[in-house]
Parts: sequence; structure tokens; C-alpha cells
Amino acid sequence: MRRGTMLLDILISGLISGSIYALLAISFSLIYGIARIVNLAHTAFYMVASYCIYLGIYKLHMHPVWGMLLSVIIVTLFGLISYKLFMDPIREHEAAVLIGTIALAMAMQEIMLLIFTGDYLSVPALIDGYFKIFSVKVFYQQLLTFVVALSILAALWVLLIKTRLGLAIRSTAEDREVANLMGMDESRVTMITMGISVALAALTGAVIAPLTTLSPFMWTHPLIMVLAVVVLGGMGSIKGSFVGAYILGFAEAIVVFVAPMGAYLKGSVALSIMILVLLIRPEGLFGVVFEEER
Amino acid sequence: MGLLGFYLRKLFNILKGEVLVLPSRVIVGIFFLVVLLLPAVTQDPYLLRILILTSIFAILAASWDLLSGFTGQINFGHALFFGVGAYTAALLNLHAKLPPWGSIPLGAMGAVLAGLIIGIPCLRLRGTYLALTTLAFPIILMGIVFAFPSITGGELGLSGLSRLSGSRLSDYYITVVVMLGLVTIMWKITDSNTGIIFHAIREDEVAVRAAGINTTRYKLLAFCLSGFFAGISGGFYAHFMRIAGPSTLEVTMSFTVVIWAIFGGIVTIYGPVGAVFVLFPLLEFFRFWPEYRMLMFAVIVLLILLYMPDGLFPWLRDKVETECPRCKIRNIATRKTCRICTAPLD
Amino acid sequence: MKKTTVSWIVLLGVSFVMAMSFPAWGADTIKIGVIGPMNFMQGKGHWNGAIMAEEKINGKGGIQVGDKKMKIELVKADSNEFINVTDATNAMELILTRDKVDFIVGGFRTEAVLAMQDIAMDYKTIFIGCGAAHPELCLRVAKDYKRYKYFFRGTPFNSTYLVKTCFIQMATVGAIMKKALGIPKVKVAIVAEKAMWVDPMIKAAEGFIPKMGMEVVGVWRPSAVATDVSAELSAIQRSEAHLIFTIFSSSVGIPFARQAGELKVPAVQVGINVEGQKDGFWKATQGMGNYIMTLNTYCRGVESTVLTKPFVEGYVKRFGETPTYTADTYTAIVLNLAPAIEQAGTLDAEKLIPIMETREFLSPSGTVGFMKDAEGRHLHDLKWGPGYLTSLGVQWQDGKLKGVWPNKWKASPEAPEITYKGIVPYKMPPWVVKKYKK
Repeated sequence: MRRGTMLLDILISGLISGSIYALLAISFSLIYGIARIVNLAHTAFYMVASYCIYLGIYKLHMHPVWGMLLSVIIVTLFGLISYKLFMDPIREHEAAVLIGTIALAMAMQEIMLLIFTGDYLSVPALIDGYFKIFSVKVFYQQLLTFVVALSILAALWVLLIKTRLGLAIRSTAEDREVANLMGMDESRVTMITMGISVALAALTGAVIAPLTTLSPFMWTHPLIMVLAVVVLGGMGSIKGSFVGAYILGFAEAIVVFVAPMGAYLKGSVALSIMILVLLIRPEGLFGVVFEEER
Repeated sequence: MGLLGFYLRKLFNILKGEVLVLPSRVIVGIFFLVVLLLPAVTQDPYLLRILILTSIFAILAASWDLLSGFTGQINFGHALFFGVGAYTAALLNLHAKLPPWGSIPLGAMGAVLAGLIIGIPCLRLRGTYLALTTLAFPIILMGIVFAFPSITGGELGLSGLSRLSGSRLSDYYITVVVMLGLVTIMWKITDSNTGIIFHAIREDEVAVRAAGINTTRYKLLAFCLSGFFAGISGGFYAHFMRIAGPSTLEVTMSFTVVIWAIFGGIVTIYGPVGAVFVLFPLLEFFRFWPEYRMLMFAVIVLLILLYMPDGLFPWLRDKVETECPRCKIRNIATRKTCRICTAPLD
Repeated sequence: MKKTTVSWIVLLGVSFVMAMSFPAWGADTIKIGVIGPMNFMQGKGHWNGAIMAEEKINGKGGIQVGDKKMKIELVKADSNEFINVTDATNAMELILTRDKVDFIVGGFRTEAVLAMQDIAMDYKTIFIGCGAAHPELCLRVAKDYKRYKYFFRGTPFNSTYLVKTCFIQMATVGAIMKKALGIPKVKVAIVAEKAMWVDPMIKAAEGFIPKMGMEVVGVWRPSAVATDVSAELSAIQRSEAHLIFTIFSSSVGIPFARQAGELKVPAVQVGINVEGQKDGFWKATQGMGNYIMTLNTYCRGVESTVLTKPFVEGYVKRFGETPTYTADTYTAIVLNLAPAIEQAGTLDAEKLIPIMETREFLSPSGTVGFMKDAEGRHLHDLKWGPGYLTSLGVQWQDGKLKGVWPNKWKASPEAPEITYKGIVPYKMPPWVVKKYKK
């Protein structure tokens, strides 16, 4: 009986952390797949979104849902503007993009530090309370995260496979120049994808913020996990990010339950798994290797 | 006496013919002189402290460039070498009672070992995969450091290390001379056959393999060399600060090194060195506006990237020098004709 | 283009050099450096306490040094120690060389304070540490008195006493639970953040808890900056613990209290939760951090000594929040340094140290006295116990922090019973009572 409930704990805990990572990783993968931009400021956008919600709820006294909407809009706009100003001009230099996005993330961190100081803040849950599944307590907010992750994945799938915009995005991802030749405005497609990516990061912030504590440094740990997930799953592959997220989510849960004395090691274990997988399959689980990128 | 005069005249001719001809070489010469002669002007301990730390980080940044700039294997976990060098030197100093001139080189050997350990799995990886994997290693090591606090001192680190030397001034000279020496050695490596192969590996590894060169060996060599130099800077840091802590393994340390190197210009060695000498004191200078410090730093980095994507120093260099279209030798920009082949410079 | 670049660089260089060498103003003042992580609560506490001290002393005209009265001048230094230990050491060196401070108070993160201490000792400047509890800082004084004698601990008392006080509080709550709910053997879950200062505490706890007739049912070590501990809480619930002994100094204290409250985990929380000492905790946990108890130094409404009320209320009036222990820079300056200077008649550290190490004085948190080790060597560490410093146990009760310990506490059978003014009884969460009451 004890063993059984522990397995259940691990399952549920893994599903929940996996969904959080999946949400972040999928949006990260999108922009990498299209524009080959490793947006290291991705989780910083998620942080800004969480702070926007805090502002919305406590300073503007909005209902959490309106706060979420507002923050998604603001952060998406902000993301598009920073893309246009900082990332678009230097897209050709891969190394410069890496540094640029780190500098952008640091700038965002400092601005948040200036406005909100280093004190820890929190945001109320969208749906309070918890319920029990087979004697394991689960927050409604966690269930919401799981549901949102799956619905976003479904929505993305529909977008990419069934719509014309999705077709444009997929072909630009495969071969930018040829897509351009075929008449798709490559830079517009990239802008739109960037918008979707940042909006998703903001939505993630909105959904996860009540589960976490806000601080100007909250973006570093998720960034590392997102990178691990994306590399594990294969860069540029959305399916890979999804699978990788759940693998690492379960790995973390196992560490916490099987070795409570070592709970702090869950990050290291996740990263070790990533390295092991890369040793066997250097492109990640579902990664695609492009000819000219050897 | 005549022999001495002969050598002096030879030195003078070399200076006139090789060094004074190009502004970039003149600047390097001036830099060497200023750094070595600064204590004659001022011996303010705070200023010397800043310059010592700058020199230590300059070695670190240059070692990153040697690996990631030249062979193209972008290393996002350079803090690993720094931390391993620092901790190994600290452990040797505390337990084996080795003085700094023993513990630092041995610490660097530890970092070389670390270089092999991470170099081997990374052989099969490319581009972003490589970068992100290297990011993981210092984090894993930090977890291990926390898991064995009795050996590593946990989050307090290892303290009570011996000083580098008796006084701030001699600390300064030791560090600066070592820095100038190591940077020159790194420069010489890149200027040698090995360096050419590094360049080639970055440009097109398959072609290099097709030419019959064992790229695996050279890639691992790059990791080890880079690890060695970074380990030395780690050991110096530990002995100067007299403490080796987990802050040497932080992700921010890795990122800062990359920022410096790219800011200064990769695939040069002087770029990262110059960048550290500009940015580190600048960051200290900004201390007067403590809330805006990091923000200004980030903004400056962003601006440089937008307008000088190849790095600050290559950009500056291109402003004062041009390359001759015929013989590819660099000339000062004010010249009308090349100094070697007399082709017109436009 | 080249010309303007050059002139720009020259201008920058000149202003750099000029700024670097700004003169030291006011040669006739006592300069006290206040060093801490100024962007964070702890550094703000350092600075605010020092400001209150400056206002108090300069309001009286200054300190009598020999035959003249000198005012104090504070020098603020942001150590940024949470982010970057190098920054902290640079800041320390800057105030010692550029501003030439006479005394230094502050410091928080042990890793940084160990390095900063070395620098202050190099310059033979008195440094009163107001935040780091690690015993090593004072052991150095005993081992190498000649070099380290300039260091004194200002606050808190060292971690071995922290542990002792925690255990006493935990035993008290355990006894309350046993008596009120009729639990034969109280089960304790130890949840401690992964940090080195915690490790010896866990070992000590595992040895101490059985002696109190309680049982350890598990040890959990989440990361100090974890934001989601629902997995750990699930496991703790399955272990059927009645009491959770918390050891948190970092941000994990907030999500733990919040999620435990949201899940209505049937266990009380006692121990150390530094985030729980702050006024902002209630909001940060969305009100779910009710009933958690933690060690603390100050609490509104509780008077440890006659000096407590004026200090705490003065601080609240001036800064709008309850002081945390880092604000003891006030004590360090007004009650430790100033009287010692007046007694010695000089600022010379060599003459001040013998006076400082033997003085005992009243402060807002208790009586301050400095210890010697078993071999009689000076440690410059704070004395603990009834009559000296005991700190408080505080509990969140419906949005307010209330002092609940010491409440009729006897340190030993012959010791006097202590209850500070303003202490109220401990309250158990209703859902815990409901679950266990027979």
C-alpha cells in the first residue's frame, strides 16, 4: 500500500512538473525551429508576465483572469519590440544572438529588481483549494496547469497542421530561403512566430505564477531546465520538447520521493540524464539534423 | 659592449619595423608597459585589487576564446574549469600544505582532467547541443559540491587559504606578469600550426578530416589547453580571495565569461583580454549608482552587439587598419599604398 | 570619426580617474561603514538600523572622544553578497581604502563575511558582524587573536545556540500538542533547506528529538530556493507527522508555508523560517502561512528588555515595518561602539578592544556579553541564556506576528522562570486539532 501511493505521488508530481516544463519548452522550441534563435530571455519574459499579473491584481485591483490577459498582451508586445530592436538585426551571428538574449534577460531582471526590489512576492491562485485523487492531494491550480499544457499543445498542433499560417511556419522552419522563394514573407512569419512564442511564455507565467514565488531571479532555474528539456527532446522538435519535458519532470519527482535527503539534487539529476541521452543520440530524442548545419 | 649594442640596435630595428608600424601593435605594447609600470604612478590598494582581479579574469576570458572562438565549440560551462582549478588548488593548499606556486599549477592539471571529461562526450555534439551540454556540467558539479560538504565546505567553500605573496604590490606583479605571459603563450598557440588547425576545425571540420588530420585529438587538445589556462586563473582567484566557494561554479560566471569574450571579439586573443580590462573596472566604476549597475552593463552589452557584432576590438581595429588586397598584410589606414607590396590601398 | 572616439575615451578616462579619487569629506567625523546586500531586506535592515543610530547620536551632538565631540558619518557599501562574493570583497576594500572608515558594521552571507573579515583584519579595523551566525567567524578570533581580534559578533548568537533555542521551542510545542491532543508519541518530520549551516543542525535534531520522547519520521532537504514543495508535502503527509521542524533561511520558507496551509497538512510548523520573520510573509503566502512558528529577534508588542519597546516602535514609526535582526547595527553603533569610545577616550582600535570584550550592556534584544572558549581565549562571540540573549519564538496568528516564547520557560530546573512582557499563548491550527483530538 505504501509503495503504491508513492508511485502515485511520483506519477502525479511528475505530470505536473512535466506540464510546466512542457509549456515553457514548447514555446522555446518554436522560435528556435523557425529563426534558429536560442532565446535565452524566454524565461525572463515568463518572469515579467508573472510580475505583470502581480501588478494587475494588487495595484490595479483586477480579477486574476483579466490580470492574466493584460499581462499576456503587454508581454507579447514587449517581446515583439525587443525582437525587432535587438534580435532581428543580429540574427546572422549565432554567438551574438546568444549573448544578446542573455543581456536582455539580465536587463529585464535588473528592471524588475528596481521596481519590485528583491523581496519575494506571490500571486493568488485562479482556483483555490485542492482535491484528492486516490489519497494524494492535488491543487486545482496544478490540475489547471496540466489541462492548459495539453490544450495548448492541441491548439498548436491544430495551428501548425491545419492552417495556412501553420504551413508557412513549418516550411520556413525547414528551409528559410526556399520558403521565401515560394512567396512566403519570411520575416513576417518569424515575427508572428516570435509573437506566439512570447505569448505562450506569458501564458505560462500566468498559469504557474500562483504555484511559485516571484523574485527577479526566478528565471534562471527554469531556463536551465528548459534548455535541458529542449536539448533532450531534440532542438526544433515540438514533439521532442513535449516528451523531454515529461521525462525530466518524472525524473525530478522520482528523486524527491526516493531520496528526500537529496531533493536539492533534482536539477543535477535531470541534467545528467540529458547528457546521457546525448551521448547515445547526439541530436536528442527527436531532433532533426540539417545538412548545412553539420 | 659591442655585442650589447648590436642586440640593442636589432631590438630597435624590430620595434621600428614590426611594432611601430601598426597602431594595434603599438597599443598592445603600450598596454604591456602601462600594466607593468602602473605601480610607479600609484599604489592604491583598491586600484591594484581591481587590476589583479581583472588580470585573473582576463586569463579566463582568453582561455574561453582559445576553445570556443578558435575551434568553434561554444562552451557555456567555462566556470567548470575555473571552479575545478580553484577548488583543487584550495584542497591541495589546505590538506597537502602546498604553497601557491605548487597548488595553482596542480589545480590547473585538475582542470585539464575536467577538460578531458567533458571534452569526450562533447565530441559527438554540434553547435547549440554542445553549448547547452557544457552548460550542464558546472551545475552538476555544484550539486556534487553540496552533496559532500565535509570535503568541499558546501556553500561556505574552503577558506583560510594562503596568500599569493606577502604584499598587495607583489601580488599585483605576480598576477600581471603571469597574465601577460599566459596570454602571449595563448597568442603564440593560435599563431602556430595547431592554431591553424583550430581555425580550420571551426570553419569546416569535415574538410579537415578529409585532409587526414585527427580532429578528435585537436578538439580534445583545445579543451585541455583551455582548461589548463582557466584552471590557473581559478587557482589565482582562490589564493587571492583566500576562499574557494561555489560562486566560482555559478551559471552567471560562465555567462559573464562568454559576454566578455564576445564583447571583445572572438577568434582573437586580445579581444577578450581587452574586454575584461574595459568591462570589469567599468562595472566597479558603476558602483556609484548601485541600483543601475547591472542594468547599465546589460544595456552596454546590447548596444555593442547591435552596432559591433564582431566585437569591440575587431571593430576598432578595422577603423584604424586596412588589409592589403594583394598580399593580405595589415596596414595603418592612413597609408595610400601597402608597406610590403606597394599595392594601392583604397 | 577617429578623433571623436579618441576624445570620448579620454573624457571617460579622465572622469573615471577623477571620480576614483574623490576626497574624503569631514575629517572631524567618525566614519562608520555599513556594508550589506542593500537591494535586499537584510541590507536594508543594516542601513536602517545605522540611520537610526546616526540620528540618535548626532542628535545629542555626537560622541565624546577625549576632549572633543565628534559626530558620526555613515558610509553605505552595497556588498551584493547574495549575487557575487567578489563584489562584496571589492566593496569592503573600497570603504577601507577610499573612504578610510574607522569602523565597519554589517555583513550577512557567511561565505562573503569570511572573505570580508579577512580584509578588515588586514586593515586592523574593528568589524562588527550583524548577520552571519557561523561559529567559524569567532573561532578564528580564538585561534589567531592577534590578527582577528578586531572582529566582534553583533547579531545573531552563533548557530549552536540557534539550534539549542530551536530545540527548546520545538520541545515546548511538542509538549503542548501531547497534552492538549493526547498524542502518546509526537512524530516529527525534519524539513531543512539544503545548505551547509543546516547539516549539523539535522544531526543534532536527530539525536535530540528521541530524548524528548518524540520520534523522527523523516528528513527532507528541498533546495533553498525551491518554489514548489508539493511533492515533499505529499510525502510528509504520508509519514503521518504531527510536527514539522523547519529550518529555512531562504525563499523556500514561503512556498512551504503557503502550500502546507493550502493543503491543510495536519501538522504544526516550528523551527526557523527566516521569511516568516518578515512583515511581508502574510501576503507572500496569500494568508496561508497562518500558525507557523519561527525563531525571531524582535516582535511588535514583546519587550525583552526596557530598551526593546522604544527601539521597535521607533523603527516601525520611521520605516513602516518591524525590524529584523540585521537592524542590530543600531545596537552595535549606539550601545557597543559609542560607549566604548567614550570610555576609552580615543578611536584607537587597540585601546577599544579590551574595553569592548569585557563590557556587558543592555540592548533591545537582551543583555550583550562576549564569551570566551573552554580554554579561556576570547571568542568575541555573543553569550546566550537567561539574563543574556535568548531571542523569541513568534507565531503568525491571523495576520499578525505574536510572541509565544519564552512563556514560563526555565532554562534549567534551578533557573528562574522567564516570560517576556507581551508574550501570548501558542495557538494550534484548528484543522490539526480536529484531526487529532480524541
